Amino acid sequence: MAGVTLDKIVKCYGDIEVVHGIDLNVAEKEFVVLVGPSGCGKSTTLRMVAGLEEITDGTLTIDDRLVNNVSPKDRDVAMVFQNYALYPHLNVAENIAFGLRIRKVPKDEVTKQVAEVAEILGLTEYLERKPADLSGGQRQRVAMGRAIVRHPKVFLFDEPLSNLDAKLRTQMRAEIKRLHKRLGVTSIYVTHDQVEAMTLADRIVVMADGRIEQIGTPMDLFNHPKNIFVASFIGSPPMNQIEAEVETRGDKLFANFGDNSLELPALNELSGSDHGRKVTLGIRPEHIMTQADADTSSIGVELDLIETLGSEALLHTTVMDKPFVVKAETHGDIKHLENLNAFHFKPGMIKVFDRETGNVFDYPERLK
Amino acid sequence: MTNLQKKSQWLIQHFKKEWQIYVLLAPAMIWFFTFLYTPMYGLQIAFKDYSIFKGIAGSPWIGFEHFQTLFENDDFIRAIKNTAILSAYNLLFAFPAPIILALMFNEILNQWYKKGAQTIVYLPHFISTVILAGIVITAFSPSAGIVNTVLGWFGVDPVYFLSKPEWFRPIFIGSGIWQEAGFASIVFLAAIAGVNPSLYESAVVDGASRWQMMWKITIPSILPTILIMLIIRIGNLLEVSFELVILLYQPATYVTADVVNTFIYRQGIQSGQYDLAAAAGLFNAVVAFILVMTANTISKRYSRTSLW
Repeated sequence: MAGVTLDKIVKCYGDIEVVHGIDLNVAEKEFVVLVGPSGCGKSTTLRMVAGLEEITDGTLTIDDRLVNNVSPKDRDVAMVFQNYALYPHLNVAENIAFGLRIRKVPKDEVTKQVAEVAEILGLTEYLERKPADLSGGQRQRVAMGRAIVRHPKVFLFDEPLSNLDAKLRTQMRAEIKRLHKRLGVTSIYVTHDQVEAMTLADRIVVMADGRIEQIGTPMDLFNHPKNIFVASFIGSPPMNQIEAEVETRGDKLFANFGDNSLELPALNELSGSDHGRKVTLGIRPEHIMTQADADTSSIGVELDLIETLGSEALLHTTVMDKPFVVKAETHGDIKHLENLNAFHFKPGMIKVFDRETGNVFDYPERLK
Repeated sequence: MTNLQKKSQWLIQHFKKEWQIYVLLAPAMIWFFTFLYTPMYGLQIAFKDYSIFKGIAGSPWIGFEHFQTLFENDDFIRAIKNTAILSAYNLLFAFPAPIILALMFNEILNQWYKKGAQTIVYLPHFISTVILAGIVITAFSPSAGIVNTVLGWFGVDPVYFLSKPEWFRPIFIGSGIWQEAGFASIVFLAAIAGVNPSLYESAVVDGASRWQMMWKITIPSILPTILIMLIIRIGNLLEVSFELVILLYQPATYVTADVVNTFIYRQGIQSGQYDLAAAAGLFNAVVAFILVMTANTISKRYSRTSLW
């Protein structure tokens, strides 16, 4: 097993810089997910780790060995591709064995290892089949089998589940997680799906425009987004945003927008001198209450739509002409939600972002 | 409503909706009908004692007499043998040439060099066969040809290549490759371009060399295209570049150069034996039909790739 360290990694295509000096340290046996919107540089970064893209500047080490100029085959990494990259003319067994055969592993050993991997992935009965005769999930398993069989130091996954339907994706997600627990191989996983990132990762790296926006555990990112981009990217439905102005009343802070005023949590980085400062409030749909409490402040709303999910419902409305979503428990019925005309907020559940920089106020010291 | 009524109603609706597609198809259909199907009416003269004065319909039927005459004719048997040998050589040397060329082009990394090389090998295709034959004749000329000039540098006496039967086949196959291999490689290059790039990336990560990738990914991936081209080639196997043979052969090389089509040309056009030539042509067509059917069936059975 091995750790992977990216130190000020830069990637340029001609004069265009697409990855702007990123630093990342993936610990041994860790499962790190790179997540971000299309074009943010996450796949390029992964491909640089694999050796499929040249590194323009910076250093990449795998298992404490500098590998910038080491060919992909000598980096001891295995990669699972988005479109599976299975050889259509080879059957499942031959596909899994491909890497071993290329490395001239003795035939008996190949047969033994293919059988072992097929057993782990539940592919034993499909070994003679060609990829065209397999379902999407089975193909993905073969692709993983091809990676596993080589016992690499690092697994690289490039959006491996994005070609699968939602149900199969959930199933395969769990299988990947189980597999990682069982094998304990350092893994770097790229996806644009934040649910995948949240469920799989030990740590998530959120990227945008070729830069790392935040690195942290799924719960760190959910509870303490560093900026408005991470706040809106992590979480489903995304965090609600309200543009407001700060008002200080004695030692308390309030955010005013329209006719509404919400009490804010006490923030070290906001004080009385910040009266009138323009901020963006970030409130997760899960953190909004449908019933008032002792320390809540409220805003009046008119519901546009209720989406029933079963145990929960999504309540849609608009606040300051922007969509606003609340996730509420149904307790088996949505009648009590239909006539809601106010939402309630606890100050501690409101994140406050500087509208100029997009950064959150009072970002925890331990996460910096 | 009966099934027939339902079907005809569906057909009318279909034509109303998709008529543009049929309009686009029409010129090709008219061409096929006029130049390939209508002349089939004339095929019957292979079984008739044809006279241009009596016409096709008025000429008397004589059964398989022309076929019997053909198979008793040593020249025809020789033509079949030559056709078979030249076809085999074609299949053996000329068919793989564009595949090898395409694989080689695929390995060239410098784009300028690649484009230059491709243009150079495509060019001979655009030269008329008459000019190409002229170039070949000039190149192999015993007096001023480049081949004999080079041989002369090594003290070899001038060789009369084009009048020696043993040299006809290599020259014919070689010049065919020179003319068509480059252009034919486009199909295989297109097939190579269609190979999923992540297959190569995956192989690179697995540790495959370029040579291994060519053998284990590129060739198997373009195999369906190779098979389709092979079936088409087998269908045209007996054609053996009739024009090139006519332009390159001479009575001295008939022993190796005279093929079924040149035999038909001499019998039909030069000697006016249209019925005998039609019989030879029909024989050629039937053999080609059997060949293409067989190739298609074999390919379908073993590789799941077929023309139909």
